[in-house]
Amino acid sequence: MLTLTGIGKSFGGVVAVHNVSLTISAGEVCGLIGPNGAGKSTLVNLISGVMSCSEGQITLANQSINRVNAHNRARIGIARTFQNLRVFPSLSVAQNIDVARYRGTQDPIVDAAIEVFDLKDKLSTPASVLSYGHLRRLEIVRALALTPKVLMLDEPAAGMNEHETQTLGQSLEWVSSESDCALLVIDHDLKFIMSLCKRIFVLNMGELIAEGTPKEITRNQMVVDAYLGEEHEKAASTA
Amino acid sequence: MTRGLYGVALISIVLIAIGVATTYFGSRYHLRLVYGAYVNLLVVLGLQVFMGNARITNLSHSAFMGIGAYVAAICVTPETVKAISLPQAPWGLNAFSLDPISSALIAIAITAIIAALIGLIIVRLTAIGATIVSLAVLVIVHSVFLFRTDIFKGNQAFFGIPQVFSLTSIVILSVAVVFIARMFRESKWGVQLRASADDELGAQASGVNIHQVRLIAWILSGILLSIAGIAYAFYLGTISARPFYFNHVFLTLAMLILGGMRTVTGAVLGTLIISFGLESVRWIETGPVVLGIDLPEVLGLSGVVLGAVIVLTMAFRPEGIMGDREVEDLLLKP
Repeated sequence: MLTLTGIGKSFGGVVAVHNVSLTISAGEVCGLIGPNGAGKSTLVNLISGVMSCSEGQITLANQSINRVNAHNRARIGIARTFQNLRVFPSLSVAQNIDVARYRGTQDPIVDAAIEVFDLKDKLSTPASVLSYGHLRRLEIVRALALTPKVLMLDEPAAGMNEHETQTLGQSLEWVSSESDCALLVIDHDLKFIMSLCKRIFVLNMGELIAEGTPKEITRNQMVVDAYLGEEHEKAASTA
Repeated sequence: MTRGLYGVALISIVLIAIGVATTYFGSRYHLRLVYGAYVNLLVVLGLQVFMGNARITNLSHSAFMGIGAYVAAICVTPETVKAISLPQAPWGLNAFSLDPISSALIAIAITAIIAALIGLIIVRLTAIGATIVSLAVLVIVHSVFLFRTDIFKGNQAFFGIPQVFSLTSIVILSVAVVFIARMFRESKWGVQLRASADDELGAQASGVNIHQVRLIAWILSGILLSIAGIAYAFYLGTISARPFYFNHVFLTLAMLILGGMRTVTGAVLGTLIISFGLESVRWIETGPVVLGIDLPEVLGLSGVVLGAVIVLTMAFRPEGIMGDREVEDLLLKP
């Protein structure tokens, strides 16, 4: 459904993303991992239209969307959340969701998502007074209100404790089971990613170095060298 | 939306009460004072629709008020009067006259078209860029009023406009405009515009066409400002270029900033406080005798007070008196 063909992005002489090709099918839950500065967030920015590609082609349902701007990409089904929270603090929780809901159809999954993501009691609360965990969840529900075909979550578990991360994982599994929406999740919490995703893409220095199931990824030597090795060392040192 | 209607009802009661009290107990001076306050209320509400929701400072609002006032005046003033006051008017502007309603509708339509054309530029700019362009628009429009004397008479009085408005008319109009401004704030466009003011990138990612919602608010703002101009011209019967320039921009901006630009209640509160408060300051300015003490004349005090209001509000309560709260938020549970 979402296909990237050889896409790249350069900032002057700095290449942030180079020749990335991948496909995500409807209903699939995919992960995107890699070390800091690998180009993960840049890739999400390219797909969501926040940045334009220097090279390559992005298609959604076989239609090229390279020339479609960010708000129209959201309308045709490419939703995202941000690494740094981007909720609307002067609006209530309900209004935050409505901002995106106006663009999509009145999908009953949004009402259900409000309950699943524990926001039902907070609908009239100003977003400015929500806890960090609720803000993260609000951003996800707002993205779901677009009734997206693809939902990209940029570090959704960042700053959450283990219990909150586990609950988030369950909520995202619920999204996957209740809709055809494909999920692309970026996170540094490998336990979270490995348990949630069926397929994982690994970026390093702007290039896609591996793609496969969680098992295949953990056994891939290039991935271990470029990324997992660091994690293993960290885990070993903390133990 | 129901809460919004409750808020509109509460504000309307206050506006109607002031109008009724002035009609029955006020002198001719009070009548003019309250009428002027209500014209400014229309301006501040028009300003709030764009500036309050998009949080982009607009300095051209008095120009749009002037366009509304002059177009309506040119259309409604009898040919016999225009033959004397505008003998050199081009395009046959002095050879026709229309009824007040048609004149008002033409004035609103022309202001809306001009607003739309300027808006196409304004909405694409950053906040500071848009503010600078709005200032340039104010200067351009004022220059046209001032130097096309064959059409607008410049600083001379454009007289002979039928005085078809009364205090009752402006009270009804004010209630209607409060309703429009409030409903816009709570509408899908209003909520999207406020979202874009909070976070542009977040709004785009939520499917908001920021340029489009800004343009809608800008045009609606222009329409409301033209209505304020029409109400001004139709009551006074005489207009000139000066009231549609810097002093008026500054006055109405202070009203919106004091009350709180993000809410309609703030716009109303700021207008009422400054309109009536400034009258007391003007009285002190003249050097009155208070409790047997002969106070000195302090010319320019009202300008100092107005500037101080902006400085103190921005320093100690930049969100204004009301902040993000509408009147019903103070009375009802969330």
